[in-house]
Amino acid sequence: MKVPLSWLKEYVAVDLPAEQLAERLALTGTEVERVSRVGVPAADGNLERFVIGQVKKKAAHPNADKLSLCEVDVGGKVEQIVCGARNFKEGDKTAVCLPGGMLPDGRKLESAVIRGVESHGMMCSEAELGLSGESAGIIILPEDAPVGTKLAEYVPVSDEVLELEVTPNRPDCLSIYGVAREVAAVTGAELAPEPVDDTQARGDDSIDELVKISVADGRLCPRYGARIIAGVKVGPSPLWLKARIAAAGMRPVNNVVDITNFVMWTLGEPMHAFDLAAIAGRKLTARRAGKGEKIVTIDGDSRVLDDSMLVIADEEKPVAVAGVMGGESSEVTGGTTDILLEAANFDGPGVMMTEMALGLRSESSTRFEKGLDPELVPGALAMASRMMVELCGGRLVPGQIDIYPRPRQELAVHLREEKVTGLLGIAVPAPEIVSILESLGFGCRREGGAIHVTVPSFRADVEREVDLIEEVARIFGLDLIPPTLPSDMRVMGGLSGYQSAERDIVQALTATGMNEVITYTFIYPDFADRLRLGDKDPRRDCVRLANPLSVDQSVMRTMLLPSLLSTIATNLSVRNQDVNIFEAGRAYLRADGEKLADERRTIGGCLCGSLRGETWTGGGGQADFHTGKGIVEAAFASVKGRFSVESCDEPFLHPGKSAYIAVDGRRAGYVGEVHPLVLEAFDVDRPVVAFEILEDALIGSSAGIVIFEDLITFPGSFQDLAVVVDKKIPSQDVIDVVEAAGAPLLRSAHVFDVYVGDQVGERKKSIALSLEFRSPERTLTDEDVDAARGAIVSALADKLSAALRE
Amino acid sequence: MNPKSAFVNKYKDLLKELEAHEGLAAMFADSAADFDSAADLEALEAARVKHLGRKSPLSLLLRSIPDLPPEERPIVGKYGNRARAALEQGLADRKKELEGVELERRLASEQVDITLPGEPFPRGHLHIITQTQWEIEDIFAGLGYRIAEGPEIESDYYNFTALNTPEGHPARSLHDTFFIEGHEDVLLRTQTSPVQIRVMEKEEPPVYIISPGRVYRRDSDATHTPMFHQIEGLAVDQHITLADLKGTLETFAKAIFGAEREIRMRPHFFPFTEPSVEIDVSCMICGGSGCRACKHSGWLEILGAGMVDPNVFGFVDYDTDEVQGFAFGMGVERIAMLKHGMSDLRMFYDNDLRFIKQF
Repeated sequence: MKVPLSWLKEYVAVDLPAEQLAERLALTGTEVERVSRVGVPAADGNLERFVIGQVKKKAAHPNADKLSLCEVDVGGKVEQIVCGARNFKEGDKTAVCLPGGMLPDGRKLESAVIRGVESHGMMCSEAELGLSGESAGIIILPEDAPVGTKLAEYVPVSDEVLELEVTPNRPDCLSIYGVAREVAAVTGAELAPEPVDDTQARGDDSIDELVKISVADGRLCPRYGARIIAGVKVGPSPLWLKARIAAAGMRPVNNVVDITNFVMWTLGEPMHAFDLAAIAGRKLTARRAGKGEKIVTIDGDSRVLDDSMLVIADEEKPVAVAGVMGGESSEVTGGTTDILLEAANFDGPGVMMTEMALGLRSESSTRFEKGLDPELVPGALAMASRMMVELCGGRLVPGQIDIYPRPRQELAVHLREEKVTGLLGIAVPAPEIVSILESLGFGCRREGGAIHVTVPSFRADVEREVDLIEEVARIFGLDLIPPTLPSDMRVMGGLSGYQSAERDIVQALTATGMNEVITYTFIYPDFADRLRLGDKDPRRDCVRLANPLSVDQSVMRTMLLPSLLSTIATNLSVRNQDVNIFEAGRAYLRADGEKLADERRTIGGCLCGSLRGETWTGGGGQADFHTGKGIVEAAFASVKGRFSVESCDEPFLHPGKSAYIAVDGRRAGYVGEVHPLVLEAFDVDRPVVAFEILEDALIGSSAGIVIFEDLITFPGSFQDLAVVVDKKIPSQDVIDVVEAAGAPLLRSAHVFDVYVGDQVGERKKSIALSLEFRSPERTLTDEDVDAARGAIVSALADKLSAALRE
Repeated sequence: MNPKSAFVNKYKDLLKELEAHEGLAAMFADSAADFDSAADLEALEAARVKHLGRKSPLSLLLRSIPDLPPEERPIVGKYGNRARAALEQGLADRKKELEGVELERRLASEQVDITLPGEPFPRGHLHIITQTQWEIEDIFAGLGYRIAEGPEIESDYYNFTALNTPEGHPARSLHDTFFIEGHEDVLLRTQTSPVQIRVMEKEEPPVYIISPGRVYRRDSDATHTPMFHQIEGLAVDQHITLADLKGTLETFAKAIFGAEREIRMRPHFFPFTEPSVEIDVSCMICGGSGCRACKHSGWLEILGAGMVDPNVFGFVDYDTDEVQGFAFGMGVERIAMLKHGMSDLRMFYDNDLRFIKQF
């Protein structure tokens, strides 16, 4: 909301500089986005160089057909000025910029020689003064304009503008007068009465004879008011009005439209002017649109309506989308003589849904959508009528339409002093509460410990005691509220076990050298094809956005892998080496029969390159399957969890270098080298190892609290064992057999070497294990260990046809 | 005999006694001189073999004792063994000395380039959003808050209606919402406040929680990304006041931006709080005197807050005569940007490793 300061000051006698006023408003709840200046720059006495001048003599330029040479009285002095405009004659008064003056666009005017003739100033057009976009000639001022006077004293050509960010609960501040009322309350300055003086109706006719108006949907249109101004002359607005409209950031159109906009800006009530002659049947109804009904709005676009939308319709067709925009067919034009002036109240949510459905917002709809005060209607009609009579030469036709079947009921709220203290944490004395509320337009009457408050109609946002307390707090001063901490907190804070475990995992991953990324959770729909997912793969069945920003962000991911591969691709494209990344995020799967999705917390990672880059001490090798598995092991180790691997047939992984991760026999993720065709589809030109683990399973695999075991008192016994088995037998099978046979004395068995080659023969491999035997109760004897080892060796021979390696 | 020999000096008294046997003294002096003059461990070993080895004169002398005349035997026996013990000790001392010299020589030859970088242990980086989020979580955990989480694909009811923003409420137009295809009333949450409703539905007061997480709004430019992170807080108890909100957030601001920071509250509007405020923190760049970052105001907006609107309590069946509370919400990215001097929000989600590894 743009609030030109000079306009504001017509209604409130505030004398603070703009910056200080802005600060005061900001601290009492009206955010000021910026203070800007419109029109002629005011600095360095520039406004002195813009004066009212009178053309004393106008002659042809001796050297140029299109220019004239003028003598212009600029107040006690006559200047010779060369002018290119043709729309004036001797005796006309106009706006003159003297040499040294700086124009709104930053140009500085100097004396100049134009086609051989000296020129000491410029007669200005509206465009040059920033009052309108383009103009045909120079400004012609009324005859009574005082020659030599500073232009700024006559027309507001220079103004400071407060650009307010009005919160949606305060549509009353979407008006100059509403802001004035707020300014009066927060500064103590005096507020002028509402500028709603009416004008006298004239003539023998009456509005009821000229037009029939009805409201078919009283919910969407609680109030409809109208008047007729007959015999208007549509033309340009006077300069002061154009200046106001321009300073508010709107475009001057003609006097009738400018007046409706001026009233809207001043009072906050959007108005519409119909060309009465264009209303078929001279009948208007506020009704719902028919499904598929069309209207061409004044912006020239054809709009298709539906039956949720309120329109103002004549006998044949909609002539306005109620509260949003008028129709072209009844628009006021140069030939219009009789105006039907509308001031109505439309339902806020209704207008909002209409503008959202049409994708059309206007100064009118952005006000109505917030729910306006129905009591604005009479004042707006009065103010607009008076201005039209004064500025358009019209006549107010006697009578007015005001369909308002359910007038607003006065609202009274009880405000308890102790409730103010209880909520704010500071006591505000009752007299101060009363004075604050009264300054904001509330009526107050003290009744014992409470205050009986009547709410003014323009404050529909205030309905409850707590709303009043907010008003008291913001004017009283939030800076006076003391900072305290809640007393008597009977709770304990902190992270849950799950949350701590999540942090442990993430930190374990960074400790391996991987970097955390955070990617958008909505991705491109073809990710499933790129990952070669099968037709019936449930991960194809995405949650889709109804209104995505782009196709590339239109479906919720069902896995983290595509996000990670895309991130690798973008990093490689900027020549980042060794892109080892992980994300702790969610994958979103459709949940059968549920509206909301199945959001799966997932840890996903990708390794591309080495975890230890090339350095002078030597480099780390390219990450492969076992690097990825090592990372997964680190993740599980961080929560003292365990997992197993199973063979894997994920279509996006290398068939021989991938595994499912299982926890307690349930699938919990995968790890593997990414399939070359998938890499190609993601524009990644080097190998990648990927993994994803469901966080619930990962954290759920934790053994929980560690129970002490004595590893110190009795020494362990260590042995190595090398066995030759069939090449196809997984090493885990060997370990499983060893662990089963070695129990209970065998405490751990791990592979420290695998050999394939001539020494063991084709189709065979040798696996070397390091075994640790230990008892918590005694020191093991050689016999103990030999027996255990013997059991292991025979079990291996028995179950896996394994031979000891010679 | 070399009078300067350190060895001989040390065993001067012994030497005098050894003169009791003519050969011994000379043998001793000869050995001592060789040990002393051995320049390295190799030479010393050679001297040991020569003077203490099986075939050394001393060994031969001691071994010949049975063949000596009886009167010489005790003298040779006594002094010979004492000489041997002294020589062995002297040898050991000399060996230690030479080892010290050798070690020094070896260490002196083993110089490294201390300016070369150290062994690079891999160290990954947490995303700066995570770092910031954890820091904020830890501050509130320390103040007694738990961390609550909830779904990102959320129903309209939790995201808007129960937060006092019914259909048609003007505040809805402030949130450009992503909707889910096929369900008019399912959306990507625009805030993490729906978690507060879910917690209050399940638990009785007192409730002290923060809810961090990803949120979504349909907007994309240098100051908006369609996904970002929020942390919302909620305190509901018997006597929570606006003053408590101020104190809590002042504590937070000082913890995260420095003890010298001040905060101020400005009135604002949010549908789910009444009164509603915005919190500014004194500019950490200029210290409050005014600079470009704070648009010369000395203050930076960091979050929105307020006293929970009674209507919200109505949705979760809390008795507004019994409890009241405050709520606040902040953007994690905004806190990180202010703290680290960033200006373009989009960089958080480009995930360029050059960016991630900075933090």
